[in-house]
Amino acid sequence: MEKLENPLPFHFICGTRPKHAEQKHLWTAADGGCKGKKSMADLISYVIRKILLAIPVILLATFIVFLMLYLTPGDPIVNILPPHASPDDIQKLREKYGFDQPFIVQYGKFLYRLAQGDLGQSVSRQTLNLDVSDLIIQRLPKTLELMAIGLTISYSLGIPLGVYSALKQNSWKDRSVMVFTLVAYAMPSFWLGILLMLLFAVYLGWLPIEGTVGGFKSIILPAMTLGLGNAALTTRMMRSSMLEVQRQDYITQLRSRGLPESEVIFKHALKNAMLPVITVIGLDIGWFVAGAVVVETVFSWPGLGLLVTNSITNYDYPTVQGCILVLAMFVVLGNLVADILYAFVDPRVRLG
Amino acid sequence: MRLRKGLNDRLLGWKMAGGARETIADMIQRGSRNKMVVIGLSVIVVMVALAVFAPVLPIADPTPSEIHPEDQTLPPHWFRFFGYNVSKGDGHIFGTDELGRDVFSRVIWGARVSLLVATLAVFFSLVIGVLLGLTAGYFGGKVDYIIASTIDLFWTFPAFLLALAFAAALGPSLNNVILAISISYWAGFARLMRGQALAVRERLFVEASRALGAKNIRIMFTHVLPNCLAPLIVWASIGVADAITIESSLSFLGVGTQPPTPSWGYMLYRGIPYLEEAPWMATFTGLVLLLTILGFNLLGDGLRDVLDPRMKGLRR
Repeated sequence: MEKLENPLPFHFICGTRPKHAEQKHLWTAADGGCKGKKSMADLISYVIRKILLAIPVILLATFIVFLMLYLTPGDPIVNILPPHASPDDIQKLREKYGFDQPFIVQYGKFLYRLAQGDLGQSVSRQTLNLDVSDLIIQRLPKTLELMAIGLTISYSLGIPLGVYSALKQNSWKDRSVMVFTLVAYAMPSFWLGILLMLLFAVYLGWLPIEGTVGGFKSIILPAMTLGLGNAALTTRMMRSSMLEVQRQDYITQLRSRGLPESEVIFKHALKNAMLPVITVIGLDIGWFVAGAVVVETVFSWPGLGLLVTNSITNYDYPTVQGCILVLAMFVVLGNLVADILYAFVDPRVRLG
Repeated sequence: MRLRKGLNDRLLGWKMAGGARETIADMIQRGSRNKMVVIGLSVIVVMVALAVFAPVLPIADPTPSEIHPEDQTLPPHWFRFFGYNVSKGDGHIFGTDELGRDVFSRVIWGARVSLLVATLAVFFSLVIGVLLGLTAGYFGGKVDYIIASTIDLFWTFPAFLLALAFAAALGPSLNNVILAISISYWAGFARLMRGQALAVRERLFVEASRALGAKNIRIMFTHVLPNCLAPLIVWASIGVADAITIESSLSFLGVGTQPPTPSWGYMLYRGIPYLEEAPWMATFTGLVLLLTILGFNLLGDGLRDVLDPRMKGLRR
């Protein structure tokens, strides 16, 4: 949300200049809504501009990911060849993978291949010469599944808790919820995962300890681990948003008209308070992407995150590159969704 | 009434800006009344003290050169309450790990590494962030466009993902972890600094200073920067918590601090296969890690309330 209040710095990239102040403030909250109409054309151009703005971000991601190969100390070629390989063989293989060309040429080729959906071939011993894109596509559903269930957990826990805590503002109940969010937010996900494992898998024996053998049962712990930290954020946001809405005049007006409190809260206040929380669903993806890498490693969940970690230990840099690029894509997409949702949902967002 | 209120505000403004401005002592007093600051600071002081004095503390060697098989995975003595056989293990309050090393002493030595990495990483990202943010916010115009778009590019990515990419590429070592975190974390500080500088440069004292002939550099560092310090301090504290999280996650994934240097993330990683056999290996390390992160988060949240109540809700 902070994002939108900030003057957008990208105008020069997509060739538009910031409009004049009065145009920028077409929609102001102060006088209760809109001064002009937000037309469909405005919205479409806003969406297109947002998509254009994502391009430099994606380019940066490809650049960073490409740079990785240049910074790596471990030589992938030496890694896949047997230790007694002759320098000639090493040179040959290096040429085959194009590691002998200058930086900018390699980057250009990398981008060119990327545009065709080719992420290169794996250089680790187990998956030698398999297409990285195939490896990723194989693992992607598992990560998506994990993220979807994690997201569900975090929202179905965070929203009710936040509302509850806002309704009981400043009571001990509110305070204990806040303490819970503080701890849950600070909790490193891998330790939370270990604790959950210890409790539900080792002591109680209800759920499988790791992997995917238990069917749906085995996704519960990783998804909980992933969702809990974000649930803390959602709770805090929901609480402050709910408190904010309750201070609004129209809520006071509804109360003074004698509406039952439950109707005021659940029919009117909650609807409006949910908006900011729902719109950041896209931004949450950033949290989930970062979390997934760690959580999948803890639970040996065969998704992209585990692939990244395993590939790092195997010096399989093409695979690491591909995975990080795909994860970065998630983040960019999430941000895009957040921006667009926000504009659609909240008429006060400037489109200028 | 209205007039008087306005007058009071202005007087207060003068008071704050002039000689009778709030002293450090006032702030300390206000801070000492804030529970979050007190709790956070106590945790941090204890952790820092343990970390600094680790070499002189009467604790076991965290990285003994010889491995004693009979010491492996000894439960803490007080685990007898949970039905563990503790006939052999004594003197290990957190038990021993799979190589027979004292977990407590490794936790303390791990604090040394974590705190050092986190503090240095935050320091470097603070320096980069302040320099870029201040330049962008103060000068505005084209400079601002270029810097601000760079900031936003980096801001878009979760710091952890960037740090993972850099750490994986640079190879695992202490310096590389610091570098990786600094590269990925500076954008937050830069954003904050830029926003503050944009606001402060419009203030009268900046104009006055310029009218007196002060150079840009001087105005930036003697007038603009000091007026932006409060949020920077808050974010630095929260930043240390984030950096500790990132560092331990990296070590957990095997791209951070390398063994035998004791590090929390790696200790937790090693604890997973021994979860059934020796649950103390992972639990206590994680507990200390959580406490440290919580301490810095609490300090940050508390300081935010103390230094500038208007900043409430700055963090999502």
